[in-house]
This record gives sequence, structure tokens and C-alpha cells, in this order.
Amino acid sequence: ENSPAPLPERAIYGFALFLGSWFGFMLYLIWAYIPEPWLFSLGLTYWPQKYWAVALPAYLLVAIGIGYILLFGINMMSTAPLNSTDTITDNYAKKQQQKKLQEEAIPALRDIPISEVNRMFFLPEK
Amino acid sequence: MEERRYRSASGAPITLRRRQHSASCRELAVRCPRLQLRSLSAVTSAVWLAAYGLFVLSENSMVLSAAIFVTLIGLIVYLHFVKIDQESLLVIGSLGIQVTSSYASGKESTTFIEMSQVKDVVINEAIHMQKVIYYLCILLQDLGDPQGVSEVVPLFQSSKPRLDCLIEVYKSCQEILEQRKTAPQSS
Repeated sequence: ENSPAPLPERAIYGFALFLGSWFGFMLYLIWAYIPEPWLFSLGLTYWPQKYWAVALPAYLLVAIGIGYILLFGINMMSTAPLNSTDTITDNYAKKQQQKKLQEEAIPALRDIPISEVNRMFFLPEK
Repeated sequence: MEERRYRSASGAPITLRRRQHSASCRELAVRCPRLQLRSLSAVTSAVWLAAYGLFVLSENSMVLSAAIFVTLIGLIVYLHFVKIDQESLLVIGSLGIQVTSSYASGKESTTFIEMSQVKDVVINEAIHMQKVIYYLCILLQDLGDPQGVSEVVPLFQSSKPRLDCLIEVYKSCQEILEQRKTAPQSS
């Protein structure tokens, strides 16, 4: 049901976005380049200052640059510290039910406690 | 008494010393590399060159005295609070586990965990900064839930030994911890 194939609705959305973005760009160029007296003579007196036509792109680029650093920082802050129990277990593992062992069948999937895993890895089988 | 050389996670050489005091008492000590003369002189020269540069710009001789002061105080603070010389683990089967960190200035900081609180000593893997490291930790028992873990106490935080050293320490600890299951419960 969720295929990326082209559909009539998607074509219409795409064209509407295309027209809208061209219109927005033309509006931005008019705002930035046409001198203020000419805009006033047309009756458009309450448009924002032209200062913002330069300031907003500058803000946006700096925000994108900071975003890279911020995302890295957020990732580091979200990592569990070495002394937290989140590195060992979590709510799903604590609440899991013990399934009965069936003969001749592969054991059911479960979260194995870390003590058991360690014994299996690091203590040699005698 | 046995001493073997290993490497830390960052590649620095560390040594592991194992002592068996009795059948149920073992001491494992990891010694970190000493403060290198070349790194000390490099940092001191860098700070003093920067101070001299500031002095040439500002013509204020207080900058030079301040740099000397900063270097001395910084070295003392580093040796007393940051630079760890040795981290040791003393496991006594019936009593508990004692963790000691000795700093380069001679200060020692000790933590004791009673055996009834200790659930297990395991090697855990976790993300630290941009790496995944193995580290040894003590799992503390959760009083309400026999299967649960209330707290994780990481060990050897400054020396950060690699997996081969950790496996040796793990095996030594497990030999002692297994004895408490087979030994009769004393009330």
C-alpha cells in the first residue's frame, strides 16, 4: 500500500509546491530589490524592513552550522553513562516472561542476563 | 604474586599485579603509566611561551608571574585530583569487595561494598565518547527483586584496561564469587 510509485495526487502536490516555491522566490526578490519608494507608491507600505532580506538567510545558515554541532552534542548527552543500569537492562527485559523449555525445539528468543553471557564468553567450559 | 604487562584502551602500557592472600582473598592492582617528563615539559613550555607572548603584547610583567603561579598550582591540582597512579580491587570472599584508587600525590580513595550487596562482577560493553569500550563493573543487588540490579559500579575508570586484562581480572573475581554459592549460608 505504501509504494513510492507516481500517483496523480502526488503529481498535483508536486506541481502545487513547484508553483508555490516559484511564487515565494519571486516575492522575495521583489521585496529585496525593488526600492522602498516604488513599493510605497504601489500602496505596499507595511512590508518588513529590507534588513531582514539579508539577515534571515544569514541566520538560517548559521543555524544549520550550529545544528550539526548541536546534534552531535545531543547524541553525546543522550548516551547512558557507564554507571547507569540502562547499559545492562531495560523495562522490556525486566518484564519478559519465562517461556517453558520444549524438548527438541530451539529455545525461545529472550534477553539473556549479562552474568550468563559473561560466563559463556569468558569462563572456559570444563 | 604475579605481574603482567597489558595495554590500556588508549594504548598506554599498564601492569596488572595479582596477589592471592588466602583461598578466599585476592588483590588485583592495575598500575597506570607515570607522568612523563616530556609531556610535563611540553605543557610547561607551551604555557610559558603563551605568557611571554602576552607579556610582549601587553608590556605587563604580572603575566609572567601569573604564568609561573598557574603552572605550579595546576601541576599540584593535577597530581592530587586527576592523575591516578594505581587502581586496586581487593576481593574477600565472605566479607566484601574494596576498591582503592591511589593518586600520584599519594592520596588514596577507598570504597567498600559488602558481599551481600554484590550481585555479580561482569565485563560490560558501553558507548563512551565516540568508542565502544569494555569495562569491568560490580552489579549491586536490588533489595526488592532478586533478579534485579539496583546499581552499576564501574571499576578501573582511569586505567581502562583492554579486554585481555579484564578477562584475567574477571576470572579471578569469579573464582572467589563462586565460593559463596557452594559455601553454607551462615546466619
